[in-house]
Amino acid sequence: MFSLPLPTSIFTPDSEASLVAAVCDVAERSFFAYAEPCDAGRFAELVDGTDRWYSAAIAFQEGGFDGSVRCLVPEDFAAAMFDAFSGRGFDDPAPSAADVSDLMGELANMVCGAWLTRAASHQTFSLQTLPVVLSQACAPVSGESWVTFAVYDRPFAVAVRVDSPRELDGTART
Amino acid sequence: MIDHSTTAGEKRPMNLLIVDDSAVMRSMIKRVLGMTDLRVGTIYEAGNGREALDVLETHDVEVLLTDINMPVMSGTELLRILAANPRWRSLRRVIISTDGSTARRDEVAGLHVRCYLEKPVTPEVVRDVLTAVADVDLHA
Repeated sequence: MFSLPLPTSIFTPDSEASLVAAVCDVAERSFFAYAEPCDAGRFAELVDGTDRWYSAAIAFQEGGFDGSVRCLVPEDFAAAMFDAFSGRGFDDPAPSAADVSDLMGELANMVCGAWLTRAASHQTFSLQTLPVVLSQACAPVSGESWVTFAVYDRPFAVAVRVDSPRELDGTART
Repeated sequence: MIDHSTTAGEKRPMNLLIVDDSAVMRSMIKRVLGMTDLRVGTIYEAGNGREALDVLETHDVEVLLTDINMPVMSGTELLRILAANPRWRSLRRVIISTDGSTARRDEVAGLHVRCYLEKPVTPEVVRDVLTAVADVDLHA
């Protein structure tokens, strides 16, 4: 279904399953939603008609490696997620773009933390303080290993990237 | 030890401080507090450890709910400062963080933390933990 190119020296062998578990956990506990992994064909069907996306990324460090976790959520679905998370009622004012963006950053933060807590072998990881949240027009593209989900028949994707390990003095290993 | 008693012998509501750099997370926790039967007084908010210290210096707070990973001053730094000052000995401290690593848990182990909650956390868990850290006579 998917394959994350993750170094086995710092991640447990079941790191992919751990990512799925982390996403499902975040969806259920924070958004009262059921997330299920889906293949590329199903994901393409779900993406059809989606114009704009939130991209929320957070960087992490673990075992001498730098990496990042990036979540992609359709903008209209992000607004629905805000309602679920905040308990916003029909009579309450609509959330601002800043509020939804804040939540998307927290989403990336939770997915990354929940995944690393399960998958990081050394358990010494640290997360970047501020997530990077962008509103963009593109759907998930190649170049990163995406794990794709269906959440209430809406598309949701997560990418994990791990860069070259750093030596203790901070320079990149060649 | 903080005395919550009023002159009439009744317990006064408990003041809380929520520390998280995410405004929506602070808002969610505040909403959960409204779902409990705890006698909650003022709910203060801070976006980082530095702001939290400013609140604690100037207001009476009984329960601190803090994130770990924040700009300016982290939750760990905040807890270290609080642990070093006997003035805040009676402050009840709860962590709500995405960072559930063994290293982080070890780091805060000696900092008088009553409970370490890992995000994502359900409203029910937040409610139950707050009920547990509060005195029974703070219930309505």
